[in-house]
Amino acid sequence: MWWLRNFALGLWSLLRREEVSKEFDAEINGFLEMAVEEKMKRGMDRAQALRAVRLEQGSSEVTREIVHAARWESFLEICAQDLAIGFRRLWRTPGFTAAVVLTLALGIGATTAIFTLVDAVMLKSLPVAIPKQLYRLGDNNNCCEMTGTQNDGSFVLYSYPLYERLRDQTPEFSQLAAFGSYLSDLSIRRRGDAAAAQPYKGEYVSGNYFEMFGIGAFAGRALIAQDDTAGAPPAAVMSYHTWQTRFGSDPSVIGAAFTINTVPYTIVGVAPPRFYGDTLRSDPPDFWLPLAAHPDRWLFDPGPEWLYLIGRLRPDARPQQVQARLNVELQEWLGNHREVIPARDWKDIAQQHVHLTPAGQGVEQMQTDYALGLRLLVILSALLVLIACANIGNLLLAHGSANRSQTAVRLALGAPRTRLVQQMLTETVLLALMGGAAALLVAYAGTHAILSLAFRGAHYVPINARPSIAVLCFAFITSVATGIAVGIAPAWMTSHSNPAHALSGAGHSRGDRSSAIQKSLVIVQVAFSTVLLIGAGLVTQSLRNLEYQKFGFVTDGRLIVNIAPALAGYTPDRLTGLYQQLHDSLPQIPGVLSASISWYSPLDGNNANERVVVQGKAPDYRWTAPSWDRVGPCYFETIGTRLLRGRAIDEHDTPSAPHVAVINETFARRFFPNEDPIGRRFGMGDVSHGGDYEIVGIVEDAKYQDTRGPAYATFFLPLLQSPSGENVRGWVSAIELHVTGKPENIEPAVRQALAEIDPNLTVLKVVSFGELVARNFNQERLIARLAELFGVLALILVCVGLYGLTSYAVARRTHEIGIRMALGAERANILVMVLRSAFAYLGLGLAIGIPVALAGGRVLADQLYGVRNYDPTIVAIAAMVLASVSFLAASIPARRAASVDPLIALHYE
Amino acid sequence: MADKPSDLVQGTLDMLILKTLALEPMHGYGISVRLEQMSSGTFRINAGSLFVALQRLERAGVIRNEWKATENGRRAKYYILTQKGRRRLNDETREWGRQVAAIARILEA
Repeated sequence: MWWLRNFALGLWSLLRREEVSKEFDAEINGFLEMAVEEKMKRGMDRAQALRAVRLEQGSSEVTREIVHAARWESFLEICAQDLAIGFRRLWRTPGFTAAVVLTLALGIGATTAIFTLVDAVMLKSLPVAIPKQLYRLGDNNNCCEMTGTQNDGSFVLYSYPLYERLRDQTPEFSQLAAFGSYLSDLSIRRRGDAAAAQPYKGEYVSGNYFEMFGIGAFAGRALIAQDDTAGAPPAAVMSYHTWQTRFGSDPSVIGAAFTINTVPYTIVGVAPPRFYGDTLRSDPPDFWLPLAAHPDRWLFDPGPEWLYLIGRLRPDARPQQVQARLNVELQEWLGNHREVIPARDWKDIAQQHVHLTPAGQGVEQMQTDYALGLRLLVILSALLVLIACANIGNLLLAHGSANRSQTAVRLALGAPRTRLVQQMLTETVLLALMGGAAALLVAYAGTHAILSLAFRGAHYVPINARPSIAVLCFAFITSVATGIAVGIAPAWMTSHSNPAHALSGAGHSRGDRSSAIQKSLVIVQVAFSTVLLIGAGLVTQSLRNLEYQKFGFVTDGRLIVNIAPALAGYTPDRLTGLYQQLHDSLPQIPGVLSASISWYSPLDGNNANERVVVQGKAPDYRWTAPSWDRVGPCYFETIGTRLLRGRAIDEHDTPSAPHVAVINETFARRFFPNEDPIGRRFGMGDVSHGGDYEIVGIVEDAKYQDTRGPAYATFFLPLLQSPSGENVRGWVSAIELHVTGKPENIEPAVRQALAEIDPNLTVLKVVSFGELVARNFNQERLIARLAELFGVLALILVCVGLYGLTSYAVARRTHEIGIRMALGAERANILVMVLRSAFAYLGLGLAIGIPVALAGGRVLADQLYGVRNYDPTIVAIAAMVLASVSFLAASIPARRAASVDPLIALHYE
Repeated sequence: MADKPSDLVQGTLDMLILKTLALEPMHGYGISVRLEQMSSGTFRINAGSLFVALQRLERAGVIRNEWKATENGRRAKYYILTQKGRRRLNDETREWGRQVAAIARILEA
């Protein structure tokens, strides 16, 4: 226990420093005095005795120092001293301090922001009980409704009867829950509220959903199995976020009656605060509803596959065995239900299988979507940090050089090198900590900015922008490690400088190690910046190509409105009336040039496809099923898709008129090669439907789903010719408006007009066509904007680095420059001389950076659209930007060098 | 400032101080004089080494101090061996004896 005593006594003496040192002074003085007295007793006079004692015992100051240094607490005191010195020195060089802190803040702040995202998106588990027991039946994110066999045989979407079967036949799952693979639009009004119904997002889930996740309710109760039975009173659970933001955390909501899609429901509870459902996504469900309450009963037939399954394995179950068992069950079920599988898919039945995947993170939609982007951002920010480190290293070296003569004096006076190194490191770590603290602010703001960039158009993203403890530790360790890493070399070098050299005033000692390191740091900076700039150029060009590509429609002056008649209780027989009203009243809104309605509009996330048969031709299943859409009159002119031949769909295409279709170029090329499609007939499904629709027109290709690939083969049918049996999806959901002026300005008038048609008609979304399309490129935009930002930061850092190095070199060569000029060198020669060395660094940096960028660009290749990863223009632009910035940075000190007065330079020092 | 303790076998200064204090409580100067006398001038301890050792022993709890008047009437800090110190001295003396005997046997062999 001696150390405890030692610690306590050490603390005691730290707290009573004055007293302890006074006491020790008395003791040591007594000691020396006694020694003197002793010597005087032996016959010396006092002066002789004092001298003898001093010789024997050394000075009392040294003794005090030795004894003091032997205490552990003196180390603390030294640290405190170093801190104080460090603070003082930093305070005296505010420019240097600000430059380092800012550089660190930006470099580490950016990295921390991105790490926060990586942590939240890629690493965090669902906020549920024991996430590692959760397993998902399937390994991809195919959506939303399918029939028959699935892509590559990997089953992810399940029909309700198949779910029931797997749930009941797999006892290894303590719970196996099912939920819709897509969120449903809901139109919700609290009973008794005067306001119109509001749009919300809902998810239909099996009754054991909450039990499977092992979570209860924050208030009220969660859904239970009884809620999910036929005839049970409709019950719903509200998300905490919705409760808080839309209902003001009103406790009376629990147990209250709500009208959801015209059906009366009871809100039985509020979900826990952090729970966002089974999938991390922007705008997660506001409500969870039992599957049994789903209005579309046909979804519960054996045919439609639309449910995702996640189960909780019992602790003793082995996933491999469970997977094998599920496969047997799946095969058996498919074998017994061949009637719901299209005959052409029967040959694939044997390949159908279930891949049981860990689902601690739920359905990994965002993880899959953002994996590549986040990896890219991590690389970019790491590059930025490296550039920042090089810059800080350079600043520290320059700072150390400025203090060189001071250091030399201290060394000459006998200060131990370790002490000097310790002091300099303390200063660096102090700087690093200040930078780290500033970095956290940058990180917090940065995460917010990144989230709003990444999820443009989202109302709510269940990702916390506040850095987690892990991220805080990461930032702290990174900044301290950076501080020590970049601080140790300058500290060591400064402390090992030869005091004699430094003291002899030779500020122009050339070729020493520190300037070699400075040069290589600048070269490294240039190289990394080249990589960053080329990368930024590539992703920016790619984004531009994507955003300004030929879509096959025009976004300018277009407004898209999404409505949901089904949610307002419209039944198919009332739809024709609604269409007519919309058709009549929308063009009357002032500023509207033309208006149309359709199932869905381009690039809004929806797509329907169906196999077709052409009359007079054998069914051809080589092609993926063409997409199709139902549209009203004036559709193509309203969205700006050009009609190439024939006629568009118009007012005459009524239910009683002959059924017609308009096809796009790709459809024409694929199904009617070297033939004239106009007047030909085709249909959906089997051969008996071959004559259903007559082709009356061809429009140009337009992209509806995939922005990178070519347009899908697509056909358009008149909205009014929908057969009454066509499912809910067939109800109009999009209104397109071509307007004058800014499309957003007309929103109030449109809402007004819709409310006049039917106040209960829920408006899901009003957004300009341009914005709607832009949201397709959120990830690309995020990467491009951040890469640009990082590129600009890197340029600034390179600028600072080159400027610092050049002006440092000029300052040290003032003497030499003076001599050169005295010997007849022209000012221009001096200018060229200085610039030449700056450009040598630039050249070397580019020579390293460009090949690295070209090699690294291959990572990007798949991400790029319309630009090659070795695009020479972008490489040239990046090199030119760097060159001009370098010229700017170097020309200021170069000009200064050229304006040196030889007389002054020769007298310098 | 030549370091006398380097003449001492490593680690023996503590033991010698304890031995000195085992006879009677003593102040710093007294300890150094006593050590010099008892070793007939072989060991000379300077103030720095002595006070570092005293501080170490005190923190280890084997000695404690007390301010008292000296025979010459000045006040000095007297160091007193504690019970723990006495045990430590016994242990170290025994161990020292064993080692010296062993070394002697090796050297005489």
